This record gives sequence, C-alpha cells and structure tokens, in this order.
Amino acid sequence: MAKETLTEVIAVAETESAITKSKTSPLEWIAENGIFVFTALLILASVVFVDGFASLVNITDVFHRAAPIGIVAVGMTFVVISGNYLDLSVVAQVATSAVILIAVSNEYGLPLAMLAALLAAAVFGIVNGVAVGYFKANAVIVTLSTTYIGLGLLRYFSGGSIFFGPPDGLIREFGLGKLGPVPYSALVLLIMTIILGFVLNRTNFGFLVRSFGVNERATRLSGTNTAAVVIGAFLVTAVAAMVAGWVLAAFSNTAVSAMSQGYDFRALAAIIVGGTSVFGGKGSVLRTLVGVIFVSVLTNVLVLSGISFGYQQMALGALIVTAVTVDALSRKVAKR
Amino acid sequence: MSQTMQIGERETSLWGRLRLTIARRTEGRGVVLLAAVLIVVAFTEPLVFTSYQVSLGRIALIGLVALGLTAVILMGELDLSVASTLAVSGVVVALIPDIRLGIIAALVVGVLIGVVNAFFVAIVGINSFIATLGMLFALRGLAFVLSDEAPVKITDVEAGIAFGQPLIGPITPRVLIFILAFIAIQVFVSRVKAGREFFAVGGNRQAAYDAGIPVKRRIFTGFMISGFVAALAGVINTLERTAADPTAGATVLLASFAAAIIGGNYLKGGRGSIVGTLIGATALGVLQVALTLSGVQVPIQQIFIGGILLLAVTTDPANLRAVLGSVRSLRLGRSKLQTPGSGS
Repeated sequence: MAKETLTEVIAVAETESAITKSKTSPLEWIAENGIFVFTALLILASVVFVDGFASLVNITDVFHRAAPIGIVAVGMTFVVISGNYLDLSVVAQVATSAVILIAVSNEYGLPLAMLAALLAAAVFGIVNGVAVGYFKANAVIVTLSTTYIGLGLLRYFSGGSIFFGPPDGLIREFGLGKLGPVPYSALVLLIMTIILGFVLNRTNFGFLVRSFGVNERATRLSGTNTAAVVIGAFLVTAVAAMVAGWVLAAFSNTAVSAMSQGYDFRALAAIIVGGTSVFGGKGSVLRTLVGVIFVSVLTNVLVLSGISFGYQQMALGALIVTAVTVDALSRKVAKR
Repeated sequence: MSQTMQIGERETSLWGRLRLTIARRTEGRGVVLLAAVLIVVAFTEPLVFTSYQVSLGRIALIGLVALGLTAVILMGELDLSVASTLAVSGVVVALIPDIRLGIIAALVVGVLIGVVNAFFVAIVGINSFIATLGMLFALRGLAFVLSDEAPVKITDVEAGIAFGQPLIGPITPRVLIFILAFIAIQVFVSRVKAGREFFAVGGNRQAAYDAGIPVKRRIFTGFMISGFVAALAGVINTLERTAADPTAGATVLLASFAAAIIGGNYLKGGRGSIVGTLIGATALGVLQVALTLSGVQVPIQQIFIGGILLLAVTTDPANLRAVLGSVRSLRLGRSKLQTPGSGS
C-alpha cells in the first residue's frame, strides 16, 4: 500500500514535469542534456588540440585515475539523489579501505583484509546514516566531522606511515591487469555502475531513495522507515568507497592515509556535472558515469597543458558552482 | 504548576523565573561542555590556566571565525568557504608590500567573497551548503595560485613581530580584535534592527518576507560579515606568523563550526546567541590547548574535535525535538491502532 501511494506521488511529479516539458526552455535543455554534448565536444577538442591526449599510454592513465573517483561518485549518487547533499567522509573511507587492504593482507592474508575493510565501511555508513537519517542532522556537517574522526583514527593506528604491498600477488596482478587498453579498475567502475544503476532503478530500495529525494514527507507518511532509507544510501556510498580504496591500493600497491585527498570534491563535481540535482530526487548513476568521464578528461587535459594544481582546483570549484547554478536556474524557469 | 498558568500571567517565584530563563536560552550544551572541559582540565592539566596567554590566543582564533559563522547560521544558512577565505586573505596581506594597504585589500577581498556567496544563495537560489562548498574548493585553488603553492613571507617582518606582542597583560592585538568583534556583533544582532531581523529571516523566511523585511539584503549582510571576519582572522594569522600559508584554515573550520553549533546556534536558523558562540569557542580553545600541552598527538586531537562536532550536530535541539516528537507520535499512533474504540 505504501508503495502505491508513493507511486502516485512520483507519478504526479512526473506529470508536472511532463507539462513543463511541453515548452522546454534552452536553459532546461542544457541542464538536462548538456553534459552529453559537452563531454563529446571536450573529448573531440582534446583529441584534436591537445598533444599527447590520444596516445594509448595517456588513455590508460585517464582510465586508471578515473576509476577510483568514478566508483566513489556512482556510490555517492545515492546520497545526493536522496536529497542529503553529499558525503564528505568518502576521503576518510577510501584511505581507510586502502590502508586496511594493504596492511592487513600483509599480515593475515587477503580475505581477512577484505572483511576488515567491509567492517570499517559498515561503521562509516551506519554512523553517517544514523546521524543524518535518525537524528536529522545536517549531512554536510555530520560527514565533515566523521571525515576528521576517521582520518584521525587512521593516522593514529597507522602512525602516518606508508604501507607497501608485496611485489607480486593477487593485488598487484589486479592493479596492473588490463583488457586491451582498459585496465581492470575501469571494468570495476563499469560493473559498479551497472549494479548500482540496477539497484537505483529496479529495486524497492532504489525506488524509496528516489522518492525520499522527491518528497521526504510523503515518503515518511506512506509508512516508510525513512531513517533506514537514509542509512541504506550512506551504506551504498560506504561500500563503493571501500571498493574504490581497493582499486586505488591495488594500482599503486601502496597505501597511506593522505592518498585520497580531494576525492570528495572530484566525486561531487562529477555527480553534479552529470546532471544529478543537489536538490534531490533527480539524477541517475549513468549520468554520474558521464560526469566522471567529463571531469577526468578535463583534469587530464589541464595536466597535459601544464596548468598548475591551484588553477585546476579553481576550475573544478567553478565547474561545481556553474553546474549547480544552471540546475537552480532551470528549476526557476520550470516553475514559471 | 506551569500547566495551570494563564497566558500573560507572570511567574513570580525565583525558581520559576529561573526555569523560564533557562528554557529561553539556547546555550545549555555549550555551558555543559565548558564546565566539563574546565573541570577535567583543572585536575589533569592546570598549566592551561597559568599559560592563559596561549589559551586566550587559541580561543580568539576559533572564536573569531565562529562569530562570523554565527551571523550566517542565525539565518539558517551555512558558510563553509570561511576556511579558504582565511587562506586567501592571509596570502593577500603577505603579497602586498605596504602592510596597511595589504590589510585593507585583504579585508575587501573577504567582503567580496561574502558578496559572491550571497549572490549564489540569495539571487540564484542555490543551497548555501553546496554554493559555499564550491567556493571553499575554488578559493583554496586561488590561495595556491596567488602564493605559487608555497608559504609567502611578509615584507615588513618587524611589524608582524610587533603585532604578536601583548598590549596590556595577556591581551595581544589578536585577543583585543576578537573582543571588539564579539562586542560589535553582539550589539548588532541584539540592538540594531538589521541584526535583529537575522533571527526573523532564519526563523520563518516567508513570514519575514511578508513582514517587509528585505530578506535578500539581510542574506548579503550576513555573508559579508562572515567573509569580513574570516578575512580578519586570516590577516591576524599571517601577521603573527610573519608568513602566509595557503593551506591555513582547514583545522580551524572544524573547531569553529563545533564552537558555533555547540554554543546553541540552531542550524535551521532563527535561534542562537553570540554569547553561546563565545562559550563554545572557549570550551574548544581550552580543550585544544590542554590536549596540545599534555602531548596528545594531532590525530587524537582531530578525533576529539570531530567527535564534539558530531555530538553537537546530532544533539541540535531543533532536530532532537522533532526526532523525539516523531517517536512519541509513532508510539501514540500505534497504541491507537492496536486498541480502536477502547476510549483511551
């Protein structure tokens, strides 16, 4: 019964958007489909104008760098769609997972390391989810604090040291493995996108996440345990961040607590640029994948052109603000 | 007793009046934290009180940024960009050879950042968390670009050293500026019409519109205050250290948020107090100094401050009341469902 009510809510929302769609303004069209055009144009321009972009080595490098950020981003899409802004603590989560994978597998073997990383991810997801879902605390502040708690714990237990994996073994093989020009890590990103896309679009849980983002109150009044939905969204993010940590650790075969700096911000940029709305309810995992490609290619082009870190940071910050502005303005236009 | 009280009737007993006052105030959690910190510190690390100059400096640093944040939080908005504003303005001071011109330029930059933030929040209509988060990253990049990714030494080192010296007793210019800023903002939000309207904007924005309050202009005022104050903190930092650090402010962000929130400023806006921010900043400043003095490692300090912020934001009374209310109504609803027609 709950689901029927919610289906109605979503149906009403969709009809409303269908009505407004009959007279789509250019701004709305850009907010909706612009990213696909921009990504295609960016790749085309990079191939033509940027020296060394179209080489096989560079393409593999782009894949290698895009994979962990992309995996984080497709997971975090759940939190954004549920209308809870973002999860800043992915920085701590990725580093924790990477350090645990290398450090524990050196001592006790790979299976136990993966189990320990899963446990850590569960703790992160549940703490964030309970604070945001049950205590209704602001997600930005909650995940800001859990970032520092998590990184503090990690630095304390690891002593801030770098962990090196064994020179050969399953982790190393996976990290260096390639299928043609595509490294295994990019395949993991693809698989995660497919799985999470299925969860978001075809399962009951994904349905509740989307409806929570559209209308929190209606979802609650229909008898859904909304706290559980939020906890679930943060758990999905945590598990994705864990997988990203594994991929990152396998690629470099080292792990250190500072290795995932800037992941929160890059993942958020990819999600927002992809067209998932920070207002919640609207967006998809596939869009995030396109956003990841856009952000990764852009970063790669900036690096190849010899642009310094500071300018890259500014460019990505401006990109986030621009994408959100377009989204906000298109909403204003749609309301008129 | 209170149930039989009529509206408008005055509570005359001392206990009753006290209880009413306490119910009206929002600083409860801040006071509890401060008391707990002071008691524990008094027993374990009394050095904090004898080296009060260090403690005061730390309180002033956290408190100054937290004061600016409070102005924004009162309206139910948030300014995450303060950490980077601090870094950018610090670099600007160091880059300009003439120290007076540098200070003025840095403060102007702070206000301009506030204007940009407010533009995105009030005019474009972006959620302030996301808008200022984007600014946080973009401005951090700007600080790196301006400083060429390395600390910048200030030209007039003598003036910087002189700036760090105490004026009277333990009062360094930093502490003096903090006290002045505290008084100014306290007077602004409690005595000036524009400042009092902050509470209305945060409490119920629609009602504020209807009452004729220029809501957008107030949002601009709030973000300009927080930008200005963060820039002030950046200037002070650079002068005291005689060098600007483009990575400055990342740790202050956490502590000043914790100070403002645990001091009783509701994140949803409308309720809060500047005094509460002072109490929160004092508690966190003393705690940080005590942890440093007892040789606690930086990661553990991070865990402490992060833990306090998490505790502060999850026990936000506005949210907590809603949570408890929903639990209660759930229970009520269930009992009604289970016993229909029992007349309970």
